Amino acid sequence: MSLHIVSKSPFSSTALSDCLDAFAEGDALLLIEDGVYALSGRMSERPAVQPVYCLAADAAARGLQIPDSVTAVDDAGWVALCAEHNPVVSWFK
Amino acid sequence: MKFSLAVYSAPHSSQAAASALRFARALLREGHQLYRVFFYCDGVHNGSSLSAPPQDETDLLAGWQALQQQHQLDLVVCIAAAQRRGVLSDSEASRLEKPAANLAAGFELAGLGQLADAVAQSDRLVTFGG
Repeated sequence: MSLHIVSKSPFSSTALSDCLDAFAEGDALLLIEDGVYALSGRMSERPAVQPVYCLAADAAARGLQIPDSVTAVDDAGWVALCAEHNPVVSWFK
Repeated sequence: MKFSLAVYSAPHSSQAAASALRFARALLREGHQLYRVFFYCDGVHNGSSLSAPPQDETDLLAGWQALQQQHQLDLVVCIAAAQRRGVLSDSEASRLEKPAANLAAGFELAGLGQLADAVAQSDRLVTFGG
């Protein structure tokens, strides 16, 4: 099952919506870099998919709170998610 | 587990190059192997020895070089992408009759086949771009 990593803001890029179109049952979504801005928009209350993870450091750097529906991960957790899923797909356009 | 990374972004143009270094450090800390880091497209600028960021900013080049020394990493810069963008080894600079070379120590130039090989030899390829 795939891990989708979104690194661009949904307010400036279609990366998140493109990713959600390709999201399959059993996949996981990880928000990093400006991708964490999704937490202030469509992911803030009821995420479109599950499970959703977020790099805690990138959210903290942008002053964003991580809602209960999203799991915060540190760098070790990021590596673990990549090890648990195959392939790892990065969305940055 | 064996990882390879593909880096498509230049340092300081977005967070992607910094994320790649951070992920490389984390996976090595977690006991995984890093088979190769392949720098492609604008990512070839990560291999320039001439970058001089201000002292209060992260020096990504120094970070990659320290990690390379510590773990004998294979840091490969795509040769075709690098020639276009002016990242040249000594031998490429003299072959192309350019006035200087700037490929940083610890990095090497090679073809796209090295990315295909990394995909074939690794359990995971993680791409950093944008």
